[in-house]
Amino acid sequence: MKLFFRRVRSVAAKEYKHILRDPFTLVVALVLPLIFVGMFGFVIDLDYKHMRLYVRDNDQTSVSRRFLQEVSSSGYFDQTPLHSPARADEALQKNNTPAVLIIKPGFGRRVKALDPADPARAQLLTDGTDNVQASIIQIYMRGIVQAASSLFTGGAEGASSLIRTRFLFNPELSSRWFIVPALSTVIIGLLAIMLTALTVAKEWENGSMELLLSTPVRPAEIILGKLIPYFCLSLFDVLVVFVLALTVFGIPFEGSFLLYMLACAVYVTGALALGLVISVVTRQQQAAIQFAFAVGLLPSFIFSGFIFPIENMPLFFQYFTALFPQRWFLLISRTLFLSDAGFAPLAPAFAGIGLFACVMIILAVFKFKTDVEP
Amino acid sequence: MNKEHKPIIRVENLTVAFGDFKAVDGISFSVERGEIFGFLGANGAGKTTTIRCICGLLNPTQGVVEVDGKDVSSSTLVLKPHIGYMSQKFTLYPDLTVRENLVFAGSLYGLTRAQIKTRAAELMQFIGLTQHLDEPVKLLSGGVKQVVALAATLLHNPDLIFLDEPTAGTSPATRADFWRLIRTLAQNGKTIFVTTHYMDEAEYCGRIVLMERGKIIAAGTPQALKKQFFPQPPVELLFKRPEQARVRAELKARNIASAQMFGDALRAEVQDAARFDKYTRQNQAIFDVHPAQPTLEDVFLKAVCGREGK
Repeated sequence: MKLFFRRVRSVAAKEYKHILRDPFTLVVALVLPLIFVGMFGFVIDLDYKHMRLYVRDNDQTSVSRRFLQEVSSSGYFDQTPLHSPARADEALQKNNTPAVLIIKPGFGRRVKALDPADPARAQLLTDGTDNVQASIIQIYMRGIVQAASSLFTGGAEGASSLIRTRFLFNPELSSRWFIVPALSTVIIGLLAIMLTALTVAKEWENGSMELLLSTPVRPAEIILGKLIPYFCLSLFDVLVVFVLALTVFGIPFEGSFLLYMLACAVYVTGALALGLVISVVTRQQQAAIQFAFAVGLLPSFIFSGFIFPIENMPLFFQYFTALFPQRWFLLISRTLFLSDAGFAPLAPAFAGIGLFACVMIILAVFKFKTDVEP
Repeated sequence: MNKEHKPIIRVENLTVAFGDFKAVDGISFSVERGEIFGFLGANGAGKTTTIRCICGLLNPTQGVVEVDGKDVSSSTLVLKPHIGYMSQKFTLYPDLTVRENLVFAGSLYGLTRAQIKTRAAELMQFIGLTQHLDEPVKLLSGGVKQVVALAATLLHNPDLIFLDEPTAGTSPATRADFWRLIRTLAQNGKTIFVTTHYMDEAEYCGRIVLMERGKIIAAGTPQALKKQFFPQPPVELLFKRPEQARVRAELKARNIASAQMFGDALRAEVQDAARFDKYTRQNQAIFDVHPAQPTLEDVFLKAVCGREGK
């Protein structure tokens, strides 16, 4: 056992020297997170502003005009009046506008009547070919309706006849608040996978694997020894991303920092071990890095809930996403950034990333080839 | 390792196949303790594959490989500390210094830092490497690299040492140094298993095995092999007049001897001694005859040609 730790320490020390002397690894580890955070945080802005909105006002009362003014002042929509009702469909079909708002006759009268059985009516037609934008328009419109309703009723009773929604945790519904915590999932995961994906393959390519295998060192010792220095490097990246999120993007952090770091440590371990599995299996740096990129990037976006909400997936895929630690870590990250939840509600997610890390370490050790057969 | 009189390596009917290709095809041999055992053959003859099987780096498709009486594939971890393997390919880390490489290799064998330090100092003196200890390995010349690789191989003081083409691509001076080291190691009771394709180096070996396309085509001491393939030693014809081509053609045409160019001399293997004497007397003015020693190169060529002739 003493020998075990001594060998692990030797492999770790050697790996640490490789990192310090290899500019590529250092660039990947230290510069890439900055690039990623900048790229995703600034460039990908899911907030839509100044969307074109065709408007047909069939009521033409002071109330309907006041309502449209409210729509304008939100800043989300630029209105174009529509002169004939038939042009509404045409405008949508020709992609002239993503949405058309039609105010029904009697809108003003009904608003004033405040009769729950006979509410004021306006119709919003959205272009469903871009369903992300369509749903965002609906959400914004709901917010406007809410604002308008309290305006018309003076916050008095009866406002229930209009839609009422309140967004918890992200009152501004700022996509940046939503994206940046998710970003840490993608960046940390991808970096960790890429860092280790090369290490075993490199040993195969430059022949040093033959040296390792001719000594009594065991696969578990090599795997653990390789994990340790990259683990430290990745935790450093975690801190960089965290500090950037708080300072540059002004994301609030409501949860427990310790819990967040614990989650990061477990998640990073799983990702590093996955990188090692890739490296152990491919034995070629070229193949390993491509694999790592695909495995690190795609599930982060597709199966994590980053872009496509998991609740909206078919049941099979909802279960399928459970295989990916990105899904669990994304949940933990968003929860801890935007709410002050404790450990209990996150326990399944912690179990998910913990299990993944264990399985990957075992797989890396088990798949480690101890002979040089081509 | 126990020192009773049993071969340290026993290989029986070893076959290694990669798909349809048999890299090693049913070979058997054994190596005694303390000998310098030479493994000769062209690239791709199966030398490295055989060594890897004995070191436990490759699983045989068939056959028995025993080191010190133990089956290699079932007791790899027990045997590895007693084996030193210097691969044909350079296997140290180019970005680490000589010292760091040695410390790393030594620690994997379970040596402590202090043990490694003492041992490395000993080895450096033995090998004659004193200057480059703190240079990254990638900056060293080919010859120095090989010497460092040898040091890494010897660090844990193994009893059985495999050197796979240790002198390939190095200068004649380095080769001479290497062989001086190898002989010293053998004198200290180590068993050396060395592969080479320099036939002159094979002369230093106690026993040699010639391999060709996965099979052993000859085995024995260098002297015995020369006797076996050249019952009659060849002769060398030194020319006074440049008529080598005519003489060679005549000897061949009349079935007197087969001759090869050797510098500007002819090296002939006599087939009919009486007629050769007669021919020599007739051509006294053109060449003199001297007895020559067959080299292992001659043996190898004859062994390979003999097989191909069959």
